[in-house]
Amino acid sequence: MTETVTVRVQRYRPEEDQEPWAQSFEVPYSEDLSILDALNQIKDQQDPTLSHRWSCRMAICGSCGVMINGEPRLACKTFLRDYRGKDALEVRALDNFPIERDLVSDISGFIDHLETVQPWLIRSDEQPVSAGAYRQTPEQMQRYAAFSQCINCGLCYAACPQFGRDPAFLGPAALTLAQRYNLDSRDEGASQRMNWLNAEAGVWSCTFVGYCSQVCPKDVDPAAAINQGKVASDINYAVNLFNILRGKDDA
Amino acid sequence: MNAGDAPDIRALQADIVIVGGGGAGLRAAIAAAEANPQLDILLLSKVYPMRSHTVAAEGGCAGVIQLHDSLDAHFDDTVSGGDWLCDQDVVDYFVHHATEENLRLEHWGCPWSRKADGSINVRAFGGMKIERTWFAADKTGFHILHTLFQTSLKYPSIRRCDEYFCTDLLLEDGACAGVQAIDMRNGTHTLIAASAVILATGGAARVYRYNTNGGIVTGDGMALAYRQGVALRDMEFVQYHPTGLPGSGILITEAARGEGGVLTNSDGYRYLQDYGLGPETPLGEACNKYMELGPRDRLSQAFWHEAKAGRALATSRGEAVNLDLRHLGEARINERLPFIRDLARTYVNVDAVHEPIPVRPTAHYTMGGIQTDRHTATALPGLFAVGECASVGLHGANRLGSNSLAELSVFGRVAGEQAAARASQGPAVDPRRLLARAQDNAAGWESLREARGGEHLATIRDEMARAMEDGAGIFRLPGQMQQTCAKIAELKGRYRELGLVDRSRVFNTEWLNAIELGNLLDVAEAMAHAALARKESRGSHQRIEDFPERDDAQFLRHSLVYRAADTPRLDWQDVVITRSQPAERHYGAAGQQESKP
Amino acid sequence: MRKPYVQRQRADWWLRNPAYRRYMLREATALPLLFYTLLLMSGLYQFTRGEAAFLGWLELLRNPWLLALHGVALAAALFHAVTWIALVPKILVIDTDRLRVSPTVVKRLHQVGAVVCNVGLLLLVLLLVGGGR
Repeated sequence: MTETVTVRVQRYRPEEDQEPWAQSFEVPYSEDLSILDALNQIKDQQDPTLSHRWSCRMAICGSCGVMINGEPRLACKTFLRDYRGKDALEVRALDNFPIERDLVSDISGFIDHLETVQPWLIRSDEQPVSAGAYRQTPEQMQRYAAFSQCINCGLCYAACPQFGRDPAFLGPAALTLAQRYNLDSRDEGASQRMNWLNAEAGVWSCTFVGYCSQVCPKDVDPAAAINQGKVASDINYAVNLFNILRGKDDA
Repeated sequence: MNAGDAPDIRALQADIVIVGGGGAGLRAAIAAAEANPQLDILLLSKVYPMRSHTVAAEGGCAGVIQLHDSLDAHFDDTVSGGDWLCDQDVVDYFVHHATEENLRLEHWGCPWSRKADGSINVRAFGGMKIERTWFAADKTGFHILHTLFQTSLKYPSIRRCDEYFCTDLLLEDGACAGVQAIDMRNGTHTLIAASAVILATGGAARVYRYNTNGGIVTGDGMALAYRQGVALRDMEFVQYHPTGLPGSGILITEAARGEGGVLTNSDGYRYLQDYGLGPETPLGEACNKYMELGPRDRLSQAFWHEAKAGRALATSRGEAVNLDLRHLGEARINERLPFIRDLARTYVNVDAVHEPIPVRPTAHYTMGGIQTDRHTATALPGLFAVGECASVGLHGANRLGSNSLAELSVFGRVAGEQAAARASQGPAVDPRRLLARAQDNAAGWESLREARGGEHLATIRDEMARAMEDGAGIFRLPGQMQQTCAKIAELKGRYRELGLVDRSRVFNTEWLNAIELGNLLDVAEAMAHAALARKESRGSHQRIEDFPERDDAQFLRHSLVYRAADTPRLDWQDVVITRSQPAERHYGAAGQQESKP
Repeated sequence: MRKPYVQRQRADWWLRNPAYRRYMLREATALPLLFYTLLLMSGLYQFTRGEAAFLGWLELLRNPWLLALHGVALAAALFHAVTWIALVPKILVIDTDRLRVSPTVVKRLHQVGAVVCNVGLLLLVLLLVGGGR
């Protein structure tokens, strides 16, 4: 007999259910099988009504974030073999987001936050393309490289108790994206983005739990980005204060 | 809605609707917004834009930038790489604008990899005589897509409908006047009237069992256009990428070879030298258009022969050859190919620094698509198509790696500007005039949601994928091609007997997968019939048994497939040849001799 | 129809994950320090009430429970300082075209600074106590 693994999958059918519940499925074990493969097998062969998001199955599109045994993870980058011998394997929708259905979260709030922080290159003097590329050395690129690797999977939001407490908090990925552009030597928009960093929902709502950086599948380290944002916010405050004291209130 | 009533339709209006939020769709949206800021642009996608499959492109994006390179050289590589089935006016336009578009992406923040002095770096790629592939480590598509998405947020005139599944094109007076889509969150049928529609829905390699593509790459736009009588062109040309992971098909970029990786068979022998790509180049010294830097069609075909001769490795995930990067060393692998190292570790448990990566060819890219002119306009007025879903005439019978990412920007911009020009002139379409048609369509989709037949979705999908692998794969054998055509017809019949279980309107992925399967079957049909009709071997279309040679007298033409009641109708279109007459394709030493004066 | 299920954060969220427990432990280091601050303030208050009151307070400090609590406060302060300094290089990034300080150096400087400050304070106290004698 082939070895099987029991996967407990959270179900929530908005037209029928008042709250989520768990359904168990048996999946044949194989060394290569990812949690995403298991979910797809369940959908194909056992229960076509199971809903989950996925696409690239190579950890770059950011669609398939779920809670696996209580940890936010990409289903495509987590394997049955990692849970062999454990008592249970439980898959749920991401924490802290409303559940649209089954494993599908409503991430629209998170996407709104991403859009808020003006995540595009801001220049005071936009050069024409004919002038060629802006010069940027590998060292300068290195300063923001990690922060530009975010795939918007939302795992860090599921990991963040501050976002869980207050969904208005801009959160790890959005604040990291702001920092990614602020640290880009080609960008001149840091002062505009400071409005968002300094705001009630900005960097100061972060209490440095740090779990966001632990769960990030792309080693972006959002906790570092946000807390660098705090330093920038402090400096900005000090500079403004200095200018006010000198009677140069142009902040 | 009550049973028996006409389905409720939500009606929206825009000046331009863009279906698809990948690289081409986003670039088109930005171009349209810049061309006329007064226009209301609606970007509609079945996924959040950053999930689009552009994200998975790894190696790079072409554009002439080195002083010793030239637009002519890029032109020649593209045309010969495409086995002379490229429209040369299109290729000319492309090579003239690729660099400009890459620079524009740079100005928008794309982190192109740099040289020590801060200028743009380029790497070698298959079939390219001189290094002209811009890259952002080995996540070029990811960075381009995120840069475009983030930049698009700057423009207030670009609205988005994320997670809307486009089901139909809506026509009025013989022109495209809008689209219809399902709001995936609640199943609401939504019609969007617009005077210009751009399809940018990507490819269709999910018709194959082993492919590098994401689950969303289901040929939706191709099927939408096909059903409205627009021709699908050159559909028989499907690119097998030579290096996918066995089992999953996950892409291992050509850049791995551009950086100096080599392919070896089970004897540890660099077999490509036996397939007209030699002589063997020194280890770690990649030589343009030699050996591992030959074009993708040739490399995939060489694998097929090796496997047939029993010189492939038997792995637990199927037959493979070795992609050896070890001689590059850890530092270079980490700098240039960090994602590849991560993928190999995660999905085949191999550390590329210490062991070779097992790879095999997997379906990757559809060279063909919705027929357009060089301005991305289709034969249906008001409908434009761009990117992998379109056939603008750039890739011919075999695409060169890194030309497709550049295509997204170059022709995405063209599509956006063309659509903006049309939308700026034309009167707005009144959505009420489309309502009756939309209700009919919606009723059809509603009955699919309620389908109670005996056929199983996943079974039909898997049988299709296997049939395409057998009859429309790397080599096409006459009997198998016939069987595949018959099988697709059979599956289309069985599709009408589909039974679905999920009756929900909220994120009903079974229903959406069923619509996707209908799209895949239409595209598969076009591919199989075009392959059968092209009685020659050219580029990625190889019929070694019955028609092993290229036949310019008869087939230096684009195939056109039109939808018809039973079997599709085939037609042919001349290729635009301006200055490069068809010649034999040579790589390796043979190519070197040819290019000597 | 749509009916998203809103997940409410549970009161015991911080018990449900080792990362959260570690975080709360670190936050909880504030409690022994709060105790120590109150203790010092009460000493100051007793000092204002005359010699006898202050000597009584000093006597109170010999209570083994209070000694143990001092130990806990010291451990908490050290734990907080060590973990904080370990994180500093992530936050205080000195990497500009003109000046670059490696993360290791940033960390070492903080460690040295912490040691210098503490030893300095200790010396100052010893000096004051010695001078007062």
